[in-house]
Amino acid sequence: MRQSLIRYLPLLLLAIAWEVVARLELVSTQALPPLSEVISAGISMVKDGELVSNGASSLYRAGAGLALAILVGSTLGIAMAWWKPVNVLLAPIVEIFYPLPKSALIPVTVIWLGFGDGSKILLIFLGCMLPVTIGAFNGARSSEQVLVWSARSMGASRLRMLWDVVVPSAMPELLNGVRTALALSFILLVSSELIVAQKGFGYLIGFLGANGNYDGMYAVVLVVAFLGFAADRIYLQITKRTLAWRD
Amino acid sequence: MAASAQIVVDRVNHLYRPPRGREVLALDQVSLEVGNREFVALLGPSGCGKSTLLYLIGGFLPVETGAILIDGQNVAGPGPDRGIVFQHFALFPWKTVRGNILYGLERQGMVKEEREKRAMDFIELVGLAGFEDSYPSQLSGGMKQRTAIARTLAFDPKILLMDEPFGALDAQTRGLMQSELLRIWQRTPKTVIFVTHDVQEAVYLAERVAVMSARPGRIKTIVDTKFDKNDPDIFKNKFFVEKVDEIWNLVKEEAIKAQGKRS
Amino acid sequence: MARLTAATPAGAPPNGTPERAARILYVLLWGFARIFSVLALAVAWELLARSGTFTPFQLPALSAVLDRIWSDAVSGDLWINTALTLYRALVAFAICAVGGVIIGMAMSRNIIAHWFFDPIVSVGFPMPKIAFLPVVILWLGVYDVSKITIIVIDAIFPVIAATVIAIQGVERELIWSARNMGATNRELLYQVILPAASPQIMTGLQVALPLSLIVAVVAEMLMGGYGLGGAMMTASRFANSTSVFAGILEIAVVGYILVKAMSLIRRRLLIWHQEAHAPSTA
Repeated sequence: MRQSLIRYLPLLLLAIAWEVVARLELVSTQALPPLSEVISAGISMVKDGELVSNGASSLYRAGAGLALAILVGSTLGIAMAWWKPVNVLLAPIVEIFYPLPKSALIPVTVIWLGFGDGSKILLIFLGCMLPVTIGAFNGARSSEQVLVWSARSMGASRLRMLWDVVVPSAMPELLNGVRTALALSFILLVSSELIVAQKGFGYLIGFLGANGNYDGMYAVVLVVAFLGFAADRIYLQITKRTLAWRD
Repeated sequence: MAASAQIVVDRVNHLYRPPRGREVLALDQVSLEVGNREFVALLGPSGCGKSTLLYLIGGFLPVETGAILIDGQNVAGPGPDRGIVFQHFALFPWKTVRGNILYGLERQGMVKEEREKRAMDFIELVGLAGFEDSYPSQLSGGMKQRTAIARTLAFDPKILLMDEPFGALDAQTRGLMQSELLRIWQRTPKTVIFVTHDVQEAVYLAERVAVMSARPGRIKTIVDTKFDKNDPDIFKNKFFVEKVDEIWNLVKEEAIKAQGKRS
Repeated sequence: MARLTAATPAGAPPNGTPERAARILYVLLWGFARIFSVLALAVAWELLARSGTFTPFQLPALSAVLDRIWSDAVSGDLWINTALTLYRALVAFAICAVGGVIIGMAMSRNIIAHWFFDPIVSVGFPMPKIAFLPVVILWLGVYDVSKITIIVIDAIFPVIAATVIAIQGVERELIWSARNMGATNRELLYQVILPAASPQIMTGLQVALPLSLIVAVVAEMLMGGYGLGGAMMTASRFANSTSVFAGILEIAVVGYILVKAMSLIRRRLLIWHQEAHAPSTA
């Protein structure tokens, strides 16, 4: 506990510095409202529901897109590793889309599905599927030959082998791919909502900024940034248990 | 020998402090004297601290208890008077063979023509002529170790510290390297402290073998192994075999103890 | 002067003509496979667009998109937009490269620097830092400065992380050898530690470069104006789907070229780094 405190102390100091600099008006209070006012703006937004309703919207979009990406991506990745023809067919597509910046797809998803939830979910689905697929693929491919052969010699059918040996072996890399996808989902969510949305965190940030409500804007920015960080940490905690057998 | 000994290790202790877990006493009141141009082997089971002792003499680890004197002066850090050769070569992978050997000479401030010539001399000495522009990643283990040896010999340290230098090589290469090292040493004698766990290697190369105990390391016995090593069938030589036997029995006890402590 | 036994050269891969021919053939086949799949996708796109399953708005034909790219190239718009986006991305990348390595170095060698930056890097890494863009705009206005700033905020993290890990991972024995040969602390840092760390630092840079491009595009989309991202948003606002698709292709190509260039540079600079060479026998 004490170690954590020392470790994160610089952040606390930065927060204090923020408050002091703002209060002393060393910088225009327009550009840098005091942290305390930001926090109270945030709290009042929670109270009047603005933050929560927009937040729910955002999280729904990210959640749906991510869930779909994980489902489809892992299935595809393992299928590619297990059946040669699937690999031959899909590998080039994966290779081509890998270097494409997924954010470039924002305007396209808008063209297809408009400004609402659909375009965001599609964007996150498409963007996050790639790291998951690659993780699943690499993970499945690395499942040790000896394990597969042992299962075979014990009479396991191909499908059984897949389920009992390949999938568990693929877990570490797959989970790593999902971690990347998790971070990416936040990025794509925020980017698309900042640019083309009518509700959600990103929209709220833009709206507050345009109306000069900088306290509120800062508050939402901090909330979003923190959520991204927290999601990653929570994910690590959860997966640590699942991967307990590894060490 | 005492007064004129080149290297004096006087009742040195060393505490190993791992990042997690408790401290371990690696060396316990170790004392040793090595004379000028003597070839001494440090022999012992894994974990007995022989490498640690070497690193202390080399100045890579600080001496906390006891003293280590080189020519009467306390060791104060690493320096070109004590050249070291590591088991895993420690070559600079971004430099060629020539570049690696030149590095020490450049640090000495040698003039360009002089150091280029000297580097080539040592490259030829270790039989790597033609490979001077190769990178370590292109070399075999034996060639890498020869580069490492050439690199250290090139800046002419008066003391040579060798940390199981042939441990990472296959058996045949090892045999070749041992006889080459002996030949080089016989021609340009330096003080050598050679760490190994291989009894035959120690008896073959060294004039004296210091047998160390299992952890915490102490010098258990020092055995004289100075005799004519130029017999081509030396490994079957009766005297040689007896020496190896004698020392092996000393080491065996310690090796068994070391196994027991493995936890 | 006595010599050591002449070395058997480390098992170089057989380099006779049939083996070389086989290697070249292999590389060519792979190249063809790649081109083939790109072509296959292109053909599929075109056929799908013409089949009438989607409206031309939803899926403009590849031929129409390529045509648009061509006219943009002729009119000069393509070059202006690409140059602007690249300018922002590359300037930011340069700052990330230099700044990131410096901070990483400081963190590895200075306890206070480490204490200060570590939580910032550790907490900041998984954050969607793009969320700070409105704040950056608030501070720095709507010009290139704010675009470059947000890119740096995003892309500097992988460089710092890679540098720290790389420096900490330098083999102790390399450092000891250098000190053994008389290297001073300064010499040790620049002549040994940095070169030893360079492969991993380079990997961090290879992550940061495409990231710089992405953030540049997103920033442009939000802030409008010229640049590949800005042009796409304008097209989108005018419901010009052909131009939107054109923009995707352009960004994809630019991204691909940058990544390829980076990996060529890596291969040149790190020519000494394992792989690619004759396998050792020991």
